[in-house]
Order: sequence, then C-alpha cells, then structure tokens
Amino acid sequence: MVQSGKKRSVMTLLMIVITIFAVFPFAWMIMLSFKGNNDIMLHPLSFPKSLDFSNYKNALSTLNYPQLYGNTFLICIISMAIELVVTFMSSFVLARMTFNRKIKSLVYGYLILGLSISPFILLFPVYRISVLLHISGKLRLVFPYVATSISFNTLLFTGYLKKLPAEIDEAAIIDGCNLFDLITKVIIPMSKPVIATIVIFNVLYIWNEYPFASVMLRDVTDYTLSMGASFFKGKYSVDYGGIIASSIMMIVPELIFYGIFQRNIVEGMTAGAVKG
Amino acid sequence: MYWLSKKRNIIGMLIPTLVIYTIFIILPIGMAVFYSFTKYSGIGKPDFIGAANYIRLFKDHIFWVSFKNTIIILAVDFALLMVAAFFAAILLNNRLIGANFCKALIFSPAIIAPIIVGIIWVYILDPKIGILNAVLKSIGLPSHLWIGGPVLSPYSIAFIYFWQQLGYIITIYIAGLKMIPTDVIEASTIDGASDWQRIRYIIFPMMKPQISTVAILVITGVFKIFEIVQQTTNGGPNHMSETLVTYSYSTTFSRSEYGYGMCLATITFVVSLIIVAIYSRAVRSKED
Repeated sequence: MVQSGKKRSVMTLLMIVITIFAVFPFAWMIMLSFKGNNDIMLHPLSFPKSLDFSNYKNALSTLNYPQLYGNTFLICIISMAIELVVTFMSSFVLARMTFNRKIKSLVYGYLILGLSISPFILLFPVYRISVLLHISGKLRLVFPYVATSISFNTLLFTGYLKKLPAEIDEAAIIDGCNLFDLITKVIIPMSKPVIATIVIFNVLYIWNEYPFASVMLRDVTDYTLSMGASFFKGKYSVDYGGIIASSIMMIVPELIFYGIFQRNIVEGMTAGAVKG
Repeated sequence: MYWLSKKRNIIGMLIPTLVIYTIFIILPIGMAVFYSFTKYSGIGKPDFIGAANYIRLFKDHIFWVSFKNTIIILAVDFALLMVAAFFAAILLNNRLIGANFCKALIFSPAIIAPIIVGIIWVYILDPKIGILNAVLKSIGLPSHLWIGGPVLSPYSIAFIYFWQQLGYIITIYIAGLKMIPTDVIEASTIDGASDWQRIRYIIFPMMKPQISTVAILVITGVFKIFEIVQQTTNGGPNHMSETLVTYSYSTTFSRSEYGYGMCLATITFVVSLIIVAIYSRAVRSKED
C-alpha cells in the first residue's frame, strides 16, 4: 500500500500515544517508589527529590521475599511437572491411539468443557475437598492449578499431536520401540514447541494467580508472591510506599522474563484463543 | 498404531487426567450447586433449605447492584475492546518504524498479575493520592471520585481492564489481519476503494472469526475480574461497586455464608453462560 508521508506520520503519532498509554502506569509506579509516604499523599504530582530506597528497604524487612519467591517457585515446579506428564499422556491417547471413536470424542469433549468454567465457582468446594483429602499448607494449590490447566493443555497437545504423521509411530515400533520409548525418545523431542507454549502459559498463570491462593493459604510462611502483594493493605495503616515497592519487586522478574521470551510468551498466550 | 493401543495402556494413561479433572473441576461444580440449596456456616452439617437462597437472591438489593455493575463493565469493555482494539490493530499492522517495539510494550500489561494491575491503578485513580485528580486540579478542572464513589467505579474498573487487555486483544486481531491475502488488499486499492471502504467491506468480513473469539474472551474475561475490584474499591462504599464475582466471594469468605455464597456463585456462572449463548446465537442468526 502506498501512503503519503503525512498520513504515515499521523499514524506513527497515534501509535506512540497508544504506547505511552500502555507504559505510563509502570513508569509512574517506578517514580512513586522513590518517594516517601508523606510525599505520595500530600504532593502526588511532585518528582522524587532524591533516589530514596527506603520503601524497598521497608518492603524487604516486612516481607520475607526469599520465602515468597521460594514458595511460588516450588508450587510452580510441582504443578508443572504433574500437569505436563499427566496431560501429555492423556492427550497422546486421544490424538494417536485407536479405540472406539465415540468414547474418544466424548472424553475429549468432557476435558475441553473446563474452558468455559470460571474458577470462582470452584473456590469454596475445592477448599472443602482439600480439607477432606488432608492436603495442607501450600501444597493445597498444586491440584487446583493442575486441574485448571487440563482443558487448555488438552486442546493444545491433542491439536499438535494429531498433526504429527502416523508413520513415525509405525517406524519406531518396527525398529523395536515400546510405548514408553516411543513417547519419551520420539514424540516428546518432536513436541518441544507446543511444550514450550504450554509451560510459558501455565507458569505465568501460576505466578499471577490470586483467588485460589487467597482461599487456600492460611499461614504467612506459605504465602506466594501475589499474596505478598496484598499484605500491606488491611494492617493498621496503609503503607503506600511499601505496597509500591513490593509490587515492583514482584513484576520486575516477570518483565525480564517477558523481555527475553517475548515472542514465545505472546505466542503462548494467544495460542489458546486463536485455536479455541 | 493399534499395536500399542491395548486397553490397559489407554485406560492407564487417561486415568490420572480424568481423576484430577473430575475431582477438582466437575465435582466442585456439583458441590457448589448442592451448597446453594443449603444454609451452611462452615460448622456442623449444611442444612437443606430448598430454593430459599434463590428467593433471597431475587430480593437482595446488593445482588442487583452487582448485576448492574457487571453489565456496565461488560458493555464498556465490549465497546472498547471490540472496536478500539480493532482499529488499533489495523494501525499497528502497518509497517511503521518501531511498530514491533511498540507492540511489545503495549502487550506488557497483559502478563502482569491482575492484583498488581489493581494496585497500580489505585495510584492513578484514587481521589486523594491519585495522579488523575491532581492533574485535573492543577489545570483548574473539577476532580471526581473515580473509584470509591457512588457512580464511577464500574466505569473505572472497566477502563482498567481495558488497559490490561488491550495489547492481548490487538495481538489476536493482528493474527487475523496477517491471514488476509495481500492481493485482495492490493486489488481493492487498484479499484479505488477508500480506507473506510476497505475496512468495512474487506477487512471486517474477513476478520469475523477473530471478532467472535475476542467477543467470547471479553465476556468470559469480565466474569473473571476480581483482583482489580478488590484492590481499587473492595466493593465499597456500602457494596455499591460490587460485581457478581466479588459479591459472591465476599459473601462466601468474609461473611462465611457458604450456602448463599454458592448460590451467588452458581447464578454468576449461569449468567455468564447465558450471555455467551445469546452472543453465539445472535452471530449465527446474522450469518444465515
């Protein structure tokens, strides 16, 4: 399309305006994080007088960050390990094994149903079930996170595995592979792109998840990062500076992660929507 | 492949997923519906009280306030994300200098925890400490109770959600735009179509699948807005900015009225399914 220079500069300007709209709140947060509480409340528009790190020191001394990160990582790794093994196996069955077609589509439909289920109806019943099953502490979050990932993972895994040619399986079996070898040595190495998509999507979900965490976690030592972010409110007074500094410490790793894996993250997050 | 498709293998590999999914997704829905017919305070056993919770719900003023707020948020975000994001996507799909960099930045709010999104916007919209009122005051305009007042909260919440989702929705639209063959666009230029004609008669009809996807995402997404409300207004003042989700959450977990809370959660879920169904039907009947 040939466009006049004037039109292009108007479009570029518009693009910059939208970008500033998206980025400004982050920039504003970072600026506020260097201001004292009084300054934040009394002079909202003023710039910080100097680089004051006391908000960060305050946040670091109030919350146990190594523990918050540790808990979040631990829950993330356990949930991811379980959900990847479990949903890869079931998707392999649905995509590549031969059995009654009606049963197959019934099972697939059943597992996909979850895409339309809001987590908020699940919170209290899932809490009751965890209590009944005597699961305690931060591990209570593992099964809800695994379960809520099943529909999405099934959709992506079966979609991908169906596209791999059936001859691969036949060749591998003729060469003497059993089912375990076929999956671990042949199919999984070929599925790296879809596994990456699923890992990124679910790690972000677990990292950001708050509703389940707020219901399941009672003990401060079990708190995940999103719980830590809400910690400053509801105490005797609102520590505005502390909230900002702790929020920034939570999102900086995410933004770095995003900076490195930007293409994969965008792909991972839109894959479900575009395919679904 | 049927060599390895022994019944034992098939069942063994399906069972773990089916068990976890059934216990933690399907069973809880049944339990929620069951609790919705009971009165339960968490101690002892739930008392079965029939449809009393549902009757109470229809007379509950706060329920209707939350319902209204949810619909306001849905309507505002539907308009903003369906229309504004569509034009933003067309704009960003032009090969402008720096477009990729800008797209990356515009997408970034979508990866942030919703609870942080809520926190960030408190510092912008809060009537006392927020930058918006400070700027309005400094240029001599009246300030408003953007959050925490009687009227504007749901609109502000809708706007915050728009900010968070904009880059994500734009990306979905751009994926659709990239699928339109370039020769179709070129042919329309040769035939002398104006920009508006090109959008209205070529791009828009070819983007229908993506537009439907976005619509469903916006509807289901609005029924998952929770942390933004909790951080900005916490439903207040006096439950006036409550949404269906936050009202069912606070009834269940702050007031420990588990029976009534589950009744609200069930109705919320059903309402979201009905709206999706209405939308799907409206689209289908238009295509016939």
